[in-house]
Amino acid sequence: MSVAISSVAALHGIDFAYPRAGRDPLTVLRGLDLEVQAGEMVALLGANGSGKTTLLRLISGVLKPDRGTVEVAGRPVGEWTRDALARRVAVLPQQLDLPDGFRAAELVEMGRAPHARRLFGSTADDERAIHRALADADALGLADRYPHELSGGERQRVLVAMALAQEPELLLLDEPTLHMDLAHQVALLRAMRRLRRDRRLTVLAVLHDLNLAAAFAPRVVVLHQGQIVADGDPAEVLTPDLVDRVFGVQAAYATTADGARQLAISVDG
Amino acid sequence: MSEPSCEREGITMSPWRHLRPVPLLVLALLVAACAAGSGGSTPGTASDQASTPATATPVPATVYPLTLTDDAGREVTIEAEPQRIVSLAPSNTEIVCALGACDRLVGVPEYQVGYPDDVAATVADLPIVVSFGPVDREAIVAAEPDLVLAAGNELTSTEDIDALADLGLPVVSLYPESLDEVSGDIELVGEALDAQAEAAEVTAGMAETIAAVEAAVAGEPTPRTFYEVSVFEGTIYTAGEDSFLASLIETAGGDPITGDAASTAIQLEDLVEADPELIVLGDAAYDPTITAETVAARDGWAEMTAVVEGRVVPLPEDILITRPGPRIVEGLEALARVIHPDAFD
Amino acid sequence: MRAATAQEATRPLPIGLTLTRTALVLGGGALLLGILVVTAVALGSTQIAFGDTAAIMGRRLLGLPFAETWAPSAETIVMQIRLPRVLTAMIVGGGLAMAGTVFQALLRNPLADPYVIGTAAGASFGAALGIAAPLMLPMLAIGAGSAFLGLGIVQVLAFTGGLVTVLVVFAIARGGGRVQMITLLLTGYAVSAVLAAGVALLMFISGRALGAIFSWLMGSLADAEWTDLAFAAPLMLFSFMAMLTRWRVLNLMLLGDSQASSLGVNVEREKLRLTVLATLATSAAVAISGTIGFVGLVVPHLLRLVIGPDHRLLLPASMLGGAALLVLADLVARMVPGGGIPVGVVTALIGAPFFLWLLRRSRVLRAEAAS
Repeated sequence: MSVAISSVAALHGIDFAYPRAGRDPLTVLRGLDLEVQAGEMVALLGANGSGKTTLLRLISGVLKPDRGTVEVAGRPVGEWTRDALARRVAVLPQQLDLPDGFRAAELVEMGRAPHARRLFGSTADDERAIHRALADADALGLADRYPHELSGGERQRVLVAMALAQEPELLLLDEPTLHMDLAHQVALLRAMRRLRRDRRLTVLAVLHDLNLAAAFAPRVVVLHQGQIVADGDPAEVLTPDLVDRVFGVQAAYATTADGARQLAISVDG
Repeated sequence: MSEPSCEREGITMSPWRHLRPVPLLVLALLVAACAAGSGGSTPGTASDQASTPATATPVPATVYPLTLTDDAGREVTIEAEPQRIVSLAPSNTEIVCALGACDRLVGVPEYQVGYPDDVAATVADLPIVVSFGPVDREAIVAAEPDLVLAAGNELTSTEDIDALADLGLPVVSLYPESLDEVSGDIELVGEALDAQAEAAEVTAGMAETIAAVEAAVAGEPTPRTFYEVSVFEGTIYTAGEDSFLASLIETAGGDPITGDAASTAIQLEDLVEADPELIVLGDAAYDPTITAETVAARDGWAEMTAVVEGRVVPLPEDILITRPGPRIVEGLEALARVIHPDAFD
Repeated sequence: MRAATAQEATRPLPIGLTLTRTALVLGGGALLLGILVVTAVALGSTQIAFGDTAAIMGRRLLGLPFAETWAPSAETIVMQIRLPRVLTAMIVGGGLAMAGTVFQALLRNPLADPYVIGTAAGASFGAALGIAAPLMLPMLAIGAGSAFLGLGIVQVLAFTGGLVTVLVVFAIARGGGRVQMITLLLTGYAVSAVLAAGVALLMFISGRALGAIFSWLMGSLADAEWTDLAFAAPLMLFSFMAMLTRWRVLNLMLLGDSQASSLGVNVEREKLRLTVLATLATSAAVAISGTIGFVGLVVPHLLRLVIGPDHRLLLPASMLGGAALLVLADLVARMVPGGGIPVGVVTALIGAPFFLWLLRRSRVLRAEAAS
C-alpha cells in the first residue's frame, strides 16, 4: 500500500500487547492500520481499554509495536532522534502531576526543550513561542501562578500551552477535556480548530463526548477491541448500531431547532 | 672515629655509610676483621651485658647525618643532633627523659598519668600534641621539632606518621615486643640523640634488674598465671598468645594463660578449663571496684584454683607493665613479686 | 475564548533567571563560600595571625612579594595542612551536594542521597578490603605502600568499588531495556546490604586494622593531601561542567519518563549518563574522604525549599552550598578540643535539625497558602 507523502502519521499492521508479570500479555491492538493526513482533525473514540492511549503512545514513540510499522512524516519512528521527533509531535497527556515550584510560564518553557538552542536560557523566538502558546491555550492569565494554585481545568490549559510551545505538526491529545467545564471544553476544541488553520496543525484527539467529537472533528475513528470499526465522517459513521455495539448504550439521532443533527443518548432502558 | 661496633647488624650505621664508596674488597676485609673481634652479639641481651662491664667498650658518639631503621622498618634520616623532640607516647617520653634529654622535649601526649615526679614536672607545661585519637598535626608542626618519636602498631596511625613525614619531619616509630627490644629501642633513641653512653647505662641497669628477677625465680615452680587486662561487656581481655605481656609473665616466673593473638580476648570457658593458679588483676590499678572479692563473686569464676586458694592479687604497677620504657623492669619486678612472693623479701 | 487583555499581552513572561535572583543566589553563595574558606584557613588548633595567613597565601599562591615575617612552621601549617584540607572540603562538599541533587531529580524522591544506589556500600567495601587484606594476607602488602596516580591502594579500591557497584546495580535493575527508578532504588538497597555485611565481616576479622576501617567509614578530611586533590579535583570539575549543562534534562525528568520522552529526552540514555556522572563525583569524593553523610541529602533539599526546583539555579547553588557547608563543618570538627571529631558527626548535627525546622516551616507556609 503506497503511503501518501503528506501523511503526518501512518500505522500499518500494528499488533501490540502489554506484558504482564506472570501472565499472558494483554493484547490491545490487532492488525491496526491508520493514516492521518496533514491538517486533519481526527477524533479517536472508543470504550475504556480499547487501545486509544496505546495508539497515541505508539505514534509518539514511547511504545514500540510488537508487529507493524509506525511512521511520522514518512519516516519510521525509530529513525527519528527524540529531539527531532519532539519538534514534530507533541503529546497532551491524560494525567500529569505538574512539579511544584515552577510557574506556569516556566512549565510552558519546558515545552520549548526540543527547540532549545541557548545553553542557559531561552531565545527571543522561544519567548514568542511561549507567549503565543499561552495565548492560544487561554492561559496567559495563569502565567505567574503555581500549579498548586490552579484548578484542574486551569492546569489542563497549562498543559495545552506546554504542548503548543513545542510548535508541533501533529498534536496528540489524550482526553484533554477530562477536567474541564463545558465552556472550556468547547473553548479548547474551538482553539484546536483555529490552530489547525493558523499553525497548520494536525490534531488527533481522544475524546469521550460523542457529540462534541461529532461537532468538532470532521473525521472520527472508532476503536473496538483493538481494531478500527469505523473511520470517517461522524454523521455517517456514528450510527446508533455502532454506538450500541461499541459503547453499549442506546442512542438515536435527533434534529435540533436550527437543523443540526445531534446524537441523543437514551438514559432509560 | 673509634672502631665500628658490630653489635647492631640490623641498623645502618654511620661508619658503614661512609665506607659505601669504598671498593667491595676493603669492605669484606673490614667485615672479616669485625667478625673476629667482639663476636657479633645481639643488643641488650641480659647475660651479655651483665658479663661485660659497662665501661669496657668505649661508647661512640653519634655522627650526623644519621640514618636509622625504626621498628616499623622505615629508614629515617636525622640531619643533626635533635634539640626539639616531640613524643607521641608516654613510653617515649620516659625514654627521652631517662637519657637526660628531658629538657629538649617540645611536645608531649595529653595522658600524663604515672610518670616519675621529675618527668611529670617537666612535661606539665609542655604543649599537648596528641590526646586520645589522631595527633594534632598543627601543634606538632608549630613546635618545630627535629625529631618525632611515634608509637608503632597503629597507636600512632600510619596516616599520621606518613603525613608528618611528608611535612619533612623525621619520625621514628617505636614498638618493642620483648624486653630485649625495649632495651634495643632505648639504645636506638640514644643513638639518635647522641646519648649512647646514657643509653648504655640505662640498659645496663635494666639488665641487672632482669637478671636479678630471673635469678630469684629460677627453679621455682611456674604457676598458671592469668593476667586480667580488662573485662568489658562480658569479654575478657588478657595477654595475647606470644605477646609481650605473655613473655613478661614468663620471665617473671609464671606460666601465662593466653588469649587470641589478634584480639587478646579469651572465652570464659577456655579460662575455666585452663584453671589459673594465680590471677593478677591489672585493671584493679584503675578501677577500685575490681577486687579479689568481686572477682570471686563472678559467675563461673568461683571454682578456679586461684579463687579457691585466695590467690587473686591486684597489681597497681600495671601502668609500668604496659609502658615499654626504662621502667618496664620495675613492672617486671612487681609482677615477679606477685607470682613468687617468697622468692623476694 | 476571551481575548487576552492588553496588559496580559504585553507583560513580560516570568521565565528564565532574573539577574537579581541569579546574583543573589550564586553571587551570595560564592561570597559566603569565599568567606568561609578564608576563615577556615585562618583558624586551627594553632594560632596564626590573620595577616600572616593572608600574606602566606598571597605569596605562595599569587606570587605577591610579601616579606617573610612569619615562622616557617606557620607556612607549613597553612600551605600543607590547612589549605589542602579546606580545598578538599570544598570539592567533596560540592560534589556530594551536586550528586544528591541529581539523584533526587532522577529518583523523583527528595530523600535520595548520593549513596542510595550503592556508592557508599561499594566504596566502603573496597576501602575495608584495602585496609584489612594486606594485614591478613601479607603477600598483598606489596600493594599497600605503592601509589597509583598518587593514591594509595585503599583509595583506588574505594573509588573502583563505588563506581563498579553502581554499574552493577544499574545492570541488574535494567529490565527490557528500561530502568524503573523504583527498581533501581530497591536493587541499590539490596546490593548495599550485601556489601555492608561484607564490610562488617572484614571489620570482624581485621584485628588491629579495625580502628582504621572504622575511622574511614566515619568520613574524615584529616588526611587530605595535595595528591588527593590532584586526583579528585579534575574528576569533580569535569562532572560539574557536564552536569551544569544538563539542567534542562533534569527539569524535564521531573515531568515523568513518558512526558520527558515526548519532549525529546532520550530517557534511558540520560538516566545512565546522569547516574554515571553523579557517581563519578561521589566515588571520587568518597575515595579521598570516606563516607561523609548528610551533605548530599540536606543541601539540595534545603536549597530546593528556598530557591525552587529549577535545576538551572539549583545545581550551581547546591555545589556552592555543599562546599560551604562542608568547609564550615570541617572547621568546627577540627576546632573541637582533644584532636577534633569526625566531620560526619558535625554534618549530621548541623544538617538534621536545620532540615527539620525548614521542613516544618515550609509545611506551615503551604498550609497557610491553601487556606
